[in-house]
Amino acid sequence: MSNVKIKSKNLNVYYGDKQALFDVNLDLNEKEVTALIGPSGCGKSTFIRCINRMNDVIDICKVTGNIEMDGININDKDLDVVSLRERVGMVFQKPNPFPKSIYDNISYGPKIHGKGETKSELDQIVENSLKKSALWEEVKDRLDEPGTSLSGGQQQRLCIARAISVNPEVILMDEPCSALDPIATAKIEELIDELKKTYTIVIVTHSMAQAVRVSQKTGFFHLGKLIEVGKTEKIFKNPDNKMTQDYITGRFG
Amino acid sequence: MSNEHTVKSYEEELQFLKDSLIKMGSLTESQLSDAMDAVIKVDKDSIDKIIKSDEEINKFRSKIDTQIMNLLVKRAPMAIDLRETISSLKISQDLERIGDLSKSNAKKVKPLPLDLPDELLGNLKRLGELVMKQLNDVLDSYVNKNFDKAKEVWEKDEQVDDLTYIAMESVIDFLSKDKKNLDFSTHLIFATKNLERAGDHITNIAETVCYLVKGEYLKGSRPKGKVIQE
Repeated sequence: MSNVKIKSKNLNVYYGDKQALFDVNLDLNEKEVTALIGPSGCGKSTFIRCINRMNDVIDICKVTGNIEMDGININDKDLDVVSLRERVGMVFQKPNPFPKSIYDNISYGPKIHGKGETKSELDQIVENSLKKSALWEEVKDRLDEPGTSLSGGQQQRLCIARAISVNPEVILMDEPCSALDPIATAKIEELIDELKKTYTIVIVTHSMAQAVRVSQKTGFFHLGKLIEVGKTEKIFKNPDNKMTQDYITGRFG
Repeated sequence: MSNEHTVKSYEEELQFLKDSLIKMGSLTESQLSDAMDAVIKVDKDSIDKIIKSDEEINKFRSKIDTQIMNLLVKRAPMAIDLRETISSLKISQDLERIGDLSKSNAKKVKPLPLDLPDELLGNLKRLGELVMKQLNDVLDSYVNKNFDKAKEVWEKDEQVDDLTYIAMESVIDFLSKDKKNLDFSTHLIFATKNLERAGDHITNIAETVCYLVKGEYLKGSRPKGKVIQE
């Protein structure tokens, strides 16, 4: 049994008057991939944004209940959000490299977090991050070219390298492959398999097949509620909840 | 929340697959029953018709195979749909094998003498009726997604085994009375064994139906009669 890295208890999120999450109780295991599935607007992204306090940037957003990482309350007002986000990296739906060189895309994070004092230290971080994101061989001879010059799939792996560069513990992925072709998707999935040895990963995906392929645990959200969570194999072969079954078999209007 | 797939053609394809399997099942039932009748009545005229119906069953099998391949490729079915698809594949294989065994039984009618004594055929007839009932019940359990009924069939295979043993004994008794009986008695022994094997395929179908309904396999090994145990 794996350790629980992140634990949410009766987590509620409101955007103004509208409640987006209802009493979500969900454990994310360390060094495991958890997939979150559900129709658009069901709260999956809202949930992962609670993990790195991304909801803080929305003025009308209010979070109640508990969410902890390694037993520490993430919602604590005194918690240093910058260091939280150092520990919890995020990759988005559309690759969003900085308008900078490939090298600078990776070195930016470590620099502002005070990691990699010297050029050679930074060089090492850049190389390691790109190797871990399986991009090094493709870009090692053109590190000074703009990140935006890469293909979509390469840009997404660059964003993963950027997330890894500050040595986080958790990586949140919000539909990381939805803008990618099948080969680029396969490379990201292969990468996720590798990364889970080191990091705790949460992936939001609309692809059932992807959830089955990459995750060990799957949670199904609907209208802000966590309807069912369990081993991925169980969820996709024989879910307990009828709503889960209706969703994954495409019986959901 | 509706129970229908959002994609109508997916719904239709799954229904089409289920319909094909039900038709194949009912064809297998009639063939088994016809073959049994042919043996009991030593009706040599029906042999060709039974052999022909086996071709029909085989055609169903390849049609179902194609439907399943298309479903897997087009729909990547999940959960109940995945179980439905995989179960159809397995059940159609078992039905096809039952068809082969019925055909084999029909072929055994040819060398049988017309004046077989009743005491020789009585037990075989009882066995045939039991196997037919089992097939009928298991197909019912498939159509109605009835776990308990499928499990009952699974458990009842023990009776098929025991009756096989008894039917075999009566043939051997008969055989030992006169060596002249050796030739056709051998065919009757094979026919009996074929029914027992058809029973095993029915048990497989029962297991598949249980998996289809509950998503988990029956635990433990199935009850076995004397023939298997000895």
